[in-house]
Amino acid sequence: MSILAFTDLTKTVAGGRTLFTRITASVEEPESVALIAPSGQGKSTLLRLLALLDAPTAGELRLEGKAASGWQPQSWRRRAAYVAQQSVMLPGSVAHNLSTCSRLHDTPFDRELAARLMEAVSLSSTDWEKNADELSGGEKQRVSLVRSLLGEPAVLLLDEITASLDQHCKLAVEKLLTEMQAAAKATLIWVSHDLEQARRVSSRVWFLADGSLADCGTEDFFRRPPSLAAERFLSRQGRNEDAGEGGP
Amino acid sequence: MTPTALAFTLLFVAITVLLSMRQRLGLERDLIIGTIRAAVQLLAIGLVLQYMFRTRHPALLLPVVAVMIAVASWHAARRGKGLRGIGIRIAVAITATEALIMLLLLGLRIIENTPQYVISISGMTIGNAMVVAGLFLNHMKRDVESSRGEIETLLALGASARQSIQLSLKRAVKASMIPTIDGMKTVGIVQLPGMMTGMIIAGADPLQAVRYQILIVFAFTSSAAVTSILLSLLSYKLWFTKEMQLRRLGKE
Repeated sequence: MSILAFTDLTKTVAGGRTLFTRITASVEEPESVALIAPSGQGKSTLLRLLALLDAPTAGELRLEGKAASGWQPQSWRRRAAYVAQQSVMLPGSVAHNLSTCSRLHDTPFDRELAARLMEAVSLSSTDWEKNADELSGGEKQRVSLVRSLLGEPAVLLLDEITASLDQHCKLAVEKLLTEMQAAAKATLIWVSHDLEQARRVSSRVWFLADGSLADCGTEDFFRRPPSLAAERFLSRQGRNEDAGEGGP
Repeated sequence: MTPTALAFTLLFVAITVLLSMRQRLGLERDLIIGTIRAAVQLLAIGLVLQYMFRTRHPALLLPVVAVMIAVASWHAARRGKGLRGIGIRIAVAITATEALIMLLLLGLRIIENTPQYVISISGMTIGNAMVVAGLFLNHMKRDVESSRGEIETLLALGASARQSIQLSLKRAVKASMIPTIDGMKTVGIVQLPGMMTGMIIAGADPLQAVRYQILIVFAFTSSAAVTSILLSLLSYKLWFTKEMQLRRLGKE
């Protein structure tokens, strides 16, 4: 039984532009997948489809072997949590944000686990009574990640969650997530512009370009790019990095 | 008021039309249409009311109130363009509000069960409920658009549709009630309400007129609250698709 799968997925956005056509992939066991694509090819849209926050134009999504139509959207989203690039803090304190899942699902708030996770993402000194809206962009991003982790999802859909972080915090977040994944607790789908990060954190790559998806091992992707588009993308990225631009 | 005196009131319209022409506001056409419509609608309802008050038949009340509710719902529904089925929900909310207010007023014998009272007070209650429903939808549309991030964050954490939109509902209910509450605070000081003024001009004792006005003001607050809260409960699902995704109104 696959953990997460999609078959013949097509998405056409308002205005008639088709982002991808009949793409298929699946995750059979807890692993870490990097979702890479040039800008505007629909990485974030694909992630939102996997979180059932958007509807596909055609195709089927499955979680834990069951089709999306057989799931209550709420239960699906509890199992497969989407963490947005633009982290939104809910009105209230940091503690209020951290306890969101327990409030929504009427479960006890595990303060100890929350403290451990906050420490793991270098936020041990953050005042929990502080208004969450006053946190910096990077702090919000990490609080938002911890808020989702406290819901104990089986799949984490991570949309550029380290984009506002400095190198130290970025590595701390990567360490926490890869350790969780290694303990077979979660499947990670990372959208990242940072190829070095993709190489560090993933064992597989989904490369999305020109409307289709290539699925291969991470090392294979970098050594033998699966398509001409991937080859062009990697060489352009390489040139950018040489020129000190860092990314597209 | 004699018909000649009534005809003289057209002077007010003439002044406005002249000002509009002089200042090139381009409002002349709307003003003339508005004047004709207001005069025809009011004269027509005057004739209907005169007939009803003479016959004093309670069975005639229902169709009149039903027409009032239908027109009010249709009008308020225009604020909820893009929300399929909003009209019927507004109609249910306004009907429930009207039923509750009339049940209390007639049940406790606060007013007499005659067309004179029932039609007049129903008109005001339904009109107020219509304004409140329109305000609620306006605020809700704006709030949902500006709080998309917040709503989707909650959905992504496994919230139900109601849980995710609760804050927007609360803000819109509150905002739709503010004009009624503010009106209650300043009534008699800032403005003399139309009904009271009308009664006084028609020769009623000012204290008697004030009593009825107090009744209306208090009834308005509960009609605002009932309409707004009921409409929020009846309509919140319309902001979502059947797969519980937040809709983009106007972009579908």
